[in-house]
Amino acid sequence: MQATLKRRSLGSDNSKKFLRFLLDWAAIITLVLCFIIFTLIKGSNFMSQNNMINILRAMSITTVFGIAATVTMAPDGFDMSACTLASCSAYVFVSMFLWYGLPLWLCIVVTIGVTLVMYQLTMFLILVCKIPDMLATAALMFVHQGLGQWYIGGGAVSTGMRLPNGNAPARTALSDAFSAIGRAPWIIIIMLACVLVAYIFLEYTKHGRFIYAMGGNKQAAKLSGINIKKYRYLAGMITAVFIAIGGILVASRGSSAQVMCADNYLMQSLAAVFVGRSVGGAEKPNALGTLVGAMLVSTLENGLTICAVSYYVLPAVKGAVLALALIAAYAGKKEQ
Amino acid sequence: MDKLTLGTRDVSIEFPGVKALTNVNFEVSTGEIRAVVGANGAGKSTLMKILAGTNPDYTGEVYLNNEVVVLNTAMSAKKIGIQIVYQEVDTALVPTLSVAENVMLNHMIMESRNHPMINWNKMRREAWEVLERLHIDVNVKKLVQNLTLAQKQMVLIAKAVASKCNFLILDEPTAPLSDTETAELFRVVKHLQATENIAIIFISHRINEVIQICEKYTVMRNGEIVCTTPVTQNTTTKEIVEKMLGRTFEELFTKDKVQLGEKIFEVSHLSGADGKVDDVSFYVKKGEIVGIAGLVGAGKSELCKTIFGAYKKTDGIIRYNGKELRIKNPTNAVKHRIGLVPEERRKEGVLVNETVSFNLSAACLGKFCKASFINKKKVDANAKRYVHDLGIATPSIKQFVKNLSGGNQQKVAVGKWLAADCDIYIFDEPTKGVDVGAKQEIFHLINNITKQGNSVIYASCENAELMSITDRIYVLYDGRVMAEIITANTNEDEIMHYAVGSDTKYA
Repeated sequence: MQATLKRRSLGSDNSKKFLRFLLDWAAIITLVLCFIIFTLIKGSNFMSQNNMINILRAMSITTVFGIAATVTMAPDGFDMSACTLASCSAYVFVSMFLWYGLPLWLCIVVTIGVTLVMYQLTMFLILVCKIPDMLATAALMFVHQGLGQWYIGGGAVSTGMRLPNGNAPARTALSDAFSAIGRAPWIIIIMLACVLVAYIFLEYTKHGRFIYAMGGNKQAAKLSGINIKKYRYLAGMITAVFIAIGGILVASRGSSAQVMCADNYLMQSLAAVFVGRSVGGAEKPNALGTLVGAMLVSTLENGLTICAVSYYVLPAVKGAVLALALIAAYAGKKEQ
Repeated sequence: MDKLTLGTRDVSIEFPGVKALTNVNFEVSTGEIRAVVGANGAGKSTLMKILAGTNPDYTGEVYLNNEVVVLNTAMSAKKIGIQIVYQEVDTALVPTLSVAENVMLNHMIMESRNHPMINWNKMRREAWEVLERLHIDVNVKKLVQNLTLAQKQMVLIAKAVASKCNFLILDEPTAPLSDTETAELFRVVKHLQATENIAIIFISHRINEVIQICEKYTVMRNGEIVCTTPVTQNTTTKEIVEKMLGRTFEELFTKDKVQLGEKIFEVSHLSGADGKVDDVSFYVKKGEIVGIAGLVGAGKSELCKTIFGAYKKTDGIIRYNGKELRIKNPTNAVKHRIGLVPEERRKEGVLVNETVSFNLSAACLGKFCKASFINKKKVDANAKRYVHDLGIATPSIKQFVKNLSGGNQQKVAVGKWLAADCDIYIFDEPTKGVDVGAKQEIFHLINNITKQGNSVIYASCENAELMSITDRIYVLYDGRVMAEIITANTNEDEIMHYAVGSDTKYA
């Protein structure tokens, strides 16, 4: 009797382990399955070098915003206003280049600088006023939208448009270097660099580990002598840099800064983080996981388009697969 | 009123690897107040959970008036009138709802099928009647989150009594209460016993309370019942504790003598933590273990955390070696080589979702870094050293701390500060929730800290522990120091005398 009991419990142990394995790697398994299925259906139309580059290019902006969200969420923060701020960054970037004729490198520096300054407001509300992250950044979404559009005078910043005050712009055309940022291979290289930097920072520096410690248990981290305010601020500043980079990519890819051009990336980037959370059983927002999450979204979109699924049905399919990946990530959790 | 008897016959239960209860025969009848006492891990809570229906995998049987009952869900226990009030009152109440809703919650759920609408007047009146019956004075319209801990407990008892209740289990109800609140609770309990057909099962670590309120006590040890004895005029605390431990006090721990140095750490006129620390002054010598005694709620934890910078200090000076330390937050404290092992181990002491290795380096990660990059080899070497030195039972240093036992988690919490090489170690209830064996090891560890010339501040409400490990004791009451006592010249009675707030000299 006892022997059978033991055997049974051993068997259930193994099946549990297997289930755990499936759940931990669900995102990657889904990704591989997507590749196999699309290749079977469409052959070399899907599985070609050109198309792979398409996928990578399409996912890069989502990934960069996803990395920004990863760094915010690692210390248990949240930022709803990341992408509205990115729109502002895009306005600043294009206006510096076209309106004021600054050199490209200086435009990038100014954009990052302005984004960092604007992020001080986010940090002020969260750290000094002690408003919960979600609420503070929800309010800031409107602030960013209003401030940004006030700056650009309500219209897009693009070639051939006058400044809001009626002056003629300093440049009338974009340079090749400006456009190259938004094209392969540069956009892909920038994305991979962002992932790598975030990965090394979070995994291999003490600052990264402190940020994770804080995300796991704020109270215990504080009582271990970790300066939690300082690290939340640090995480915020790094997020701001990634937001600025994301804004620059959006502008360069679109050859202009349209009104609210980056706003729509928020939900996709958060989805990438949530899918990535569970990859490999990490159980916390992590850079590589976010990359996988973004790739899953982008592969689906690409494959389904090639399979001639109507563009207006795409969101539903995309959403359904995301929901499945999230079920895998959270279903195995013990009830709290 | 018919007398009801609830009992267990040869009840045993096993958890993976541990036999938690062995052939327990326990019986209690309505009309009595019964204490169940025992050391940590003796099986009290396990037995109570079986009676409450939340430990369904037991063998043996439970009977009510000689009729066997099956307790496999919380509902099945409630149906035959067994109600339990857990120690963590916040888990059983809905803080954002009013007192009336909380008291009548079970009713609301059961009646919801027949009465989908809520009759507020009726509900408030019924809740008020229950509270009135128990002579509890709480406004039924108040939100539960605005109540004091003691009031919440009263609401929970009212909630239990509002439904069918013949057996009321109170799991360490007095642990978080002050003296006056405890007296109030006892009044309610006595009143219940006198007016209702009810048995009250009272679990407590405070033996003097057991003697004060109970008629009979049951002693448990290692998952078995040792004896069930009436409380008489002659019952003493010592006698009960000896039965609990199965040996005498003196064996608890013998401290190795350490040569004391000069005065090294001094706190003068410290106030803070929203008034919970009030003008506290004390000093610690090199190599000394100074105890902070006092009942729960006396301000011991608050004092520890104020010194450590986790609570706001409003006044006072902290000196080390005569030099003033400016401590505004825990980060400053760690810089000045002060370490705190906090009371709430899992919530505050260790990072449960991180590995043993990371936890052991969390307070001094900078030591193992080069230009902010972590040197994994050094971190692991550090972890291996303390896992070995402290005898932390873990399959590997990569194990997550949440998978360790309570005693081993505590060792990790201590090891973190040993790795940081502190001068002053503050322990806040370090033995809470660890078994007797692990307790001994923790005592040895603390003793060794002082042998290396460091100093220890040891806050505990277990006076027996303070007696065996400290050199000197300061007794706190209501945030103030009532007395300074040399451990060698005192006894537990004297500590208790000051801990309850007497301002007369102990004779």
